[in-house]
Amino acid sequence: MFPGGKRSAGGPKGRAGQGQGKDAQQRRPMFRRRKVCKFCADKIDDINYKDTKLLMPFVPERAKILPRRISGTCAIHQRKLRVAIMRARQLALIPYTAD
Amino acid sequence: MHRKYELVYVVSPDASDDQVADLHNQVAAIVDRMGGQIEKTDNWGRRKLAYEIGRHKEGTYVLEVIVGSGDLMKEIDRRLKVTDLVIRHLVVRVDEEQERVERARTKRTESSRRRRLARGLPPDRQPGEGPRGEVDEDRDDRFGDLGAEV
Repeated sequence: MFPGGKRSAGGPKGRAGQGQGKDAQQRRPMFRRRKVCKFCADKIDDINYKDTKLLMPFVPERAKILPRRISGTCAIHQRKLRVAIMRARQLALIPYTAD
Repeated sequence: MHRKYELVYVVSPDASDDQVADLHNQVAAIVDRMGGQIEKTDNWGRRKLAYEIGRHKEGTYVLEVIVGSGDLMKEIDRRLKVTDLVIRHLVVRVDEEQERVERARTKRTESSRRRRLARGLPPDRQPGEGPRGEVDEDRDDRFGDLGAEV
């Protein structure tokens, strides 16, 4: 159960409605799974630079930090995540870039 | 001033175990001299580096948790900078963050207990109650929706 009806607001504004402009698609917008912040959901309070296992999913392939709009991480945790990743990079636990 | 710091340094792979131990002793000596205290030492052993530093591809990681003053850490930082054997090091202050984590954790368990009691359940979760029961509501949802569009 999701608290409040906030979720439905995002639907009609979705890409499906804007791009094609087809009626059928506008009425039933593309269903997208709701994204939740991993750290809120799993109740991880401590985002630590030493915990490479935790950080790795947030630095895919090119080793860039995964943006919030994709990962669904909340602002508070994304900020902490960023700091942790930068520290881990300094210690060569995580790459700055993959070539 | 008593603050808690974490120091991680990466020792060159050419260094022998004795040299690594010696380095630790050097750090310990500085900490001792400046009225600090080493709370924990952890040798992670040899690890592959995520990228090459100089020409090194791997290194020995050592973590030290130190309680002491800022001046102490400054001195350690300075010493490690001029030590050729150490190819990378990082000093992070951790006491405030640890406190914050601790507070968040106690707050969470307390509120969950209160809610459970209000519902007439035993305060602690019983075995076999499902992956996550009523604790769901206290999920931080405020920012969850903002980034819905890809």
